[in-house]
Amino acid sequence: MRGLVRRVLLLLAIAAAQFALFEIALRIWGHSEAAPSFQALFMPDPVVGYRLRPDARTRFVTSEFDTEIVINHQGVRDSRDIGPKPPGERRIVVLGDSLVLSVQVDERQTFCRLLEERLNRAGGPHTYRVINAGVQGYGPVEELLFFREIARSFDADLVIETIFVGNDAEEAVGSAPKLRAGARPAAEALSDSLASRLRRIVRRSMVLQVVRLRIVSVTDRLSNWLAPPEPPLQTYAAKPAERIAQGLDISRDCVRAIADDAAASGARTMIMLMPARFQVDDADYARLKQSVQQLGGELVRDAASERFDRALAPLSLPRFDALPSLRAALPGPDLFFQQTVHLTPRGHAVVAEALERFIAERALAQPLASPHSGS
Amino acid sequence: MVFNSLQFVWFFLLVYALYLILPHKGQNWLLLIASYYFYAAWDPRFLTLLIASTLVDYTCGRALGRVQSPKRRRLIMWLSVGFNLTLLGFFKYFNFFADNLQALFAAAGWRVDFVTLRVLLPIGISFYTFVTMSYVIDVYRRDAEPTTNLLDFAVFVAYFPHLVAGPILRASRLLPQIATPRHITSPQVRDGLWLIAWGFFQKIFVADNLAPLASRVFAPGAHESGINVLLGTYAFAFQIYGDFAGYSNIARGTSKLMGIELIENFRFPYLVRTPQEFWRHWHISLSTWLRDYLYIPLGGNRGSRWQTNRNLMLTMTLGGLWHGAAWTFVFWGVYQGALLILYRSFAGARWFERAPRLIAWLVMFHLTCFGWLIFRAPSFSQLGTLIGSLVHHFEPSTIDVNGLLVPLLLFTIPLLLVHLWEAHADDLLVVPRLPVVVRYTVFVATMYLILLFGNFGGTEFIYFQF
Repeated sequence: MRGLVRRVLLLLAIAAAQFALFEIALRIWGHSEAAPSFQALFMPDPVVGYRLRPDARTRFVTSEFDTEIVINHQGVRDSRDIGPKPPGERRIVVLGDSLVLSVQVDERQTFCRLLEERLNRAGGPHTYRVINAGVQGYGPVEELLFFREIARSFDADLVIETIFVGNDAEEAVGSAPKLRAGARPAAEALSDSLASRLRRIVRRSMVLQVVRLRIVSVTDRLSNWLAPPEPPLQTYAAKPAERIAQGLDISRDCVRAIADDAAASGARTMIMLMPARFQVDDADYARLKQSVQQLGGELVRDAASERFDRALAPLSLPRFDALPSLRAALPGPDLFFQQTVHLTPRGHAVVAEALERFIAERALAQPLASPHSGS
Repeated sequence: MVFNSLQFVWFFLLVYALYLILPHKGQNWLLLIASYYFYAAWDPRFLTLLIASTLVDYTCGRALGRVQSPKRRRLIMWLSVGFNLTLLGFFKYFNFFADNLQALFAAAGWRVDFVTLRVLLPIGISFYTFVTMSYVIDVYRRDAEPTTNLLDFAVFVAYFPHLVAGPILRASRLLPQIATPRHITSPQVRDGLWLIAWGFFQKIFVADNLAPLASRVFAPGAHESGINVLLGTYAFAFQIYGDFAGYSNIARGTSKLMGIELIENFRFPYLVRTPQEFWRHWHISLSTWLRDYLYIPLGGNRGSRWQTNRNLMLTMTLGGLWHGAAWTFVFWGVYQGALLILYRSFAGARWFERAPRLIAWLVMFHLTCFGWLIFRAPSFSQLGTLIGSLVHHFEPSTIDVNGLLVPLLLFTIPLLLVHLWEAHADDLLVVPRLPVVVRYTVFVATMYLILLFGNFGGTEFIYFQF
């Protein structure tokens, strides 16, 4: 018995020592979104939940890219600070999620910066400043809250609300309570229960974060076993779950609120619909279609784009869909990264070009005649 | 149901729990039912083929036990071999031969429409037909006693750890273990657990993480520089090794837990210095099968040099075709045959015998990798493109360090460390026999590597398709 106890203790000691070694190794070399260096880009926010930490910077390296990420003093991805608007400057604020933030590419390769360059290249009496106000993991609800709390002060002439059609409806449903909760302090949200303390410990360790993901994956598979799983990508489903309609409604309400707030500050608002990779990539689509079919669902390739388009139509805001221009850029080098499914530098260039054309054709970068006149 | 799935974990835990409490005969019934369930999990329709093969070969075996006339014995043996080859030929090669004949006639200007059938390949058919054929041939040769117990024979054929991807077991090895009560010893449990863990490591950490690197380079239409093609080929070499050796280890490990010993199927195949050695270390159960039932009956090395070379080439070409109904597999077999013949011609030459071991190993490793290039290429035109990149566009400056080199090293170095250790000790089970501190250290590190970096996508094993 004593021998057994001794062996178990030895095993635990070895496991603890190796835990420390793997933790150190992952912190030094393990560039992933779970890495503390990447997580340090974010800070809790009492209203939105979290946001980019002002003046943070990190280098993010994966097998597909190597980028330097700089957050300015105002808390958006930009190496330049945002001060009072100089005379003759037109500002465009782009709200959105990781597809706008674009940690996969250099700041100068993002469609925001490329759009700015293109607009300035055209010359004219004005200079343009395009502000990347995208934050990883945001949906329409967070984008509204972030606009009200932070981005409204950027004094925009045009606000572009970017909708990722792939998951924004689902995320809107999940985040809707934030709209009702109002200004709920983050500290309050993180009560000192054992579970939340455990969660904080896990979030500080890269090894434990991976273990947590493995456990979640196993429990998901188990629950899928016990009850038939819902096919993924519900926004694209031929017969979507009820919550998708609810998510589309919430998204529309959020975009309307952004447009109203923007108009109150004298800015126009437009909507940009961003597609998922499989809507552009045929091989990806074939694979996903089969996976969804195996789970008893039916994937309709452009259903999410069409649903958002219909849902947002009553707002009468200009709507730009990036999908046709991305499709028109095929065949050619990759528009999306293989592993992270975000836009490559070429994908950003394609979006920037099409977006500039859309803005120019509709003169959207011109200021409104007077504040409060609607968009 | 693949080994690296949650479904298999539950399946095995349940089967094992019952196995431990049942008496010998009950264990055999359990193994049979579990094996049929395991097989039917892919496609229940193919269970009929497995059962048919079992019944035919059991009957032939029993008939061979009764019949003494050499003529009639030969007839029974050929009946069984014919049945198995027909099964294999129809399900695995029908479309291949029909398509090729049609193309041949078309090239001669004749338009011939063959009946084209969408024949599905029953999983593991190449393995179990070889298992049952070897049984009948062994009984015919009087190398094995025919069994009179249908249950034992059915378990021998369908035994789930080896059913779909080998090792290709001989009756003389497995049948006695099924027929007699089994006693599970503590070293068997210790070794079995290690083999299962190591098998999962080879599959989930090594093979499944290297698969995307190989897929990128071998993708139809891909145009990588030669240096990246080389790295992709290395990745495939370790992917296929990790995949197949991993399966064999899990099969051996689960069997050990049940008190059944399976043969070693891989023994450091990438550390060898000649093709002859390679085939004694790679897919050992297939190469010995081909040797015993094809090469030696053809005459082996008993005739002239020309006859020996012919036998080698025939055996390896058919061995290549066994891997799949595609000309690239046939060409891979021809390439392996040519290597064996070439190295045979070197035997005894002073320069060859005196070649530094490191150089000999390096040359052999790259010859093996070139074989994998042929094996993995989706078509001959793609093979030409890949070889063209290696020869004309090597361009070392274009090496993809982050996308290919770093992951290749990350996912192969831990494997190679254990591999070298095992080779040094000449023991595949060296780890469980190490001092307890070292053993626990290796075991825990293996677990961490699987948990932290393993690819849990649950992809199928490559050899299932064969």
